[in-house]
Amino acid sequence: MTTTQEPATLIGEELSDDLASASLALARKFHTGATLWVISPQWEPHAHHVAVEFVHPVIMGKRALPSVALVDPDPVAQARVATRPGDVIIAVASADDPQVLDTMRRAPAWGAHTIWIGFGPRPPAGSADHVLWVESDDAMVPATGRFVLMYHLLWELTHVCFEHPGLLTVKDEDCTDEVCVTCSDEGRLGEVVMAPETLLSPALVRTATGEEAVDVTLVGEVAPGDLVLVHAGAAITRVDHDAEVPR
Amino acid sequence: MSELNQNTDFLYPFIEGAEEDPSSLLVDLAASARGKAEVSARLQQDSLDEYEEQLQAAGAEMADRFARGGRLYTFGNGGSSTDAATLASLFCRPARGRAVPAWSLAADQAVVTALGNDVGFELIFSRQVIAHSKPVDIAVALSTSGNSDDLIMALTEAKKRGLLTIGFAGHSGGSMSTSTDVDYCFTIHSQSIHRIQESHARVGFRLWSIVQERTQRRVADLMAAGPSNPGGSS
Repeated sequence: MTTTQEPATLIGEELSDDLASASLALARKFHTGATLWVISPQWEPHAHHVAVEFVHPVIMGKRALPSVALVDPDPVAQARVATRPGDVIIAVASADDPQVLDTMRRAPAWGAHTIWIGFGPRPPAGSADHVLWVESDDAMVPATGRFVLMYHLLWELTHVCFEHPGLLTVKDEDCTDEVCVTCSDEGRLGEVVMAPETLLSPALVRTATGEEAVDVTLVGEVAPGDLVLVHAGAAITRVDHDAEVPR
Repeated sequence: MSELNQNTDFLYPFIEGAEEDPSSLLVDLAASARGKAEVSARLQQDSLDEYEEQLQAAGAEMADRFARGGRLYTFGNGGSSTDAATLASLFCRPARGRAVPAWSLAADQAVVTALGNDVGFELIFSRQVIAHSKPVDIAVALSTSGNSDDLIMALTEAKKRGLLTIGFAGHSGGSMSTSTDVDYCFTIHSQSIHRIQESHARVGFRLWSIVQERTQRRVADLMAAGPSNPGGSS
């Protein structure tokens, strides 16, 4: 027998605060009809575990909520077609996962809220709406139960929020500051769906509010999948691969 | 309030629809997250302490079977099926260390639905054990109740065929903990399915670590003995 050790601290102050705000945000999204999409290109079983957690709760009587694991070889394409405005995308992945980085960058154009669970070096600030991070560089973290604990707690706290119906609705006056870009027209993220047919015609662009015709003469030639900032019906700039996107 | 909410209600005596300021809820949620994480960490450590000796013994037998060409099959239902898949990946695709053949019997939807539809859900794993296994192989089943029929039947079939059988259970262990068909049973003493699954992952990881250590030791001995003479008479 080994001697008994003091258990490690699995969730510290900061992470517990992050979990709390992610859970409230998730509960609010579910309250307005969101589906939770789950991607984990490196650790597919985690994607399935998150989905089954919400769809088939372990505690009898808790609401079944819509959640689906997206495990196709191209999760970006799968999330693009699956996601509706108001949905939530959760990723379980390291910060350098190229498919997850790409999904998280595009999510604001699809109108999706984002949660990112991972370990090791943190993703850059602003990479997702909520970052729930295990502060460890040990490559074995994904197999030790740390992620399982994280999404179990996310589920448990989300259901606590449902017991506070007064807090599930975000009132309009809470939504006027610069943080909430989608309500203003400061420069919304858009993803090009169809390039212009002629030099003078607009491109079809998808933003958080749906598809719209957008003048792209300022940014030059665009192709499907390109990200642009849309302001007053025109694309005002391209969004490069390493640039921060508005959320 | 229905009794179904009793697990969290004690935290929130003020539950009502008129709440508008989320700040006190957020403070409570964060405290609740830290409290649950502490419970989980304590349970994981207690489980590791309780089972270290049996984990060493099971790990030694597993390493010996892998050395002789054995394969590992893992299985469970629901969340436990995904934990079984994570455990299989840990053995066959570890971030460090030696990879050994392992897979989850819930992974193939064609096989699972074919068996579920044609022969019955309780046979989805045991029929795969019959199809795939040799006596040198290993079966690992994860169930938070320790009572799932499909898992028990597969473990029984595995034992009959000479496989090493290992169960991860919870609550009071269920029939997995009393079955003579299960060589090692690691029962996590908790009533919470979530906390049990977190400890399953941690104890499973410890089992993998022991198999790795044993494998390294075997390889080191082999190398120290120098080049062998396969088929030679000396």
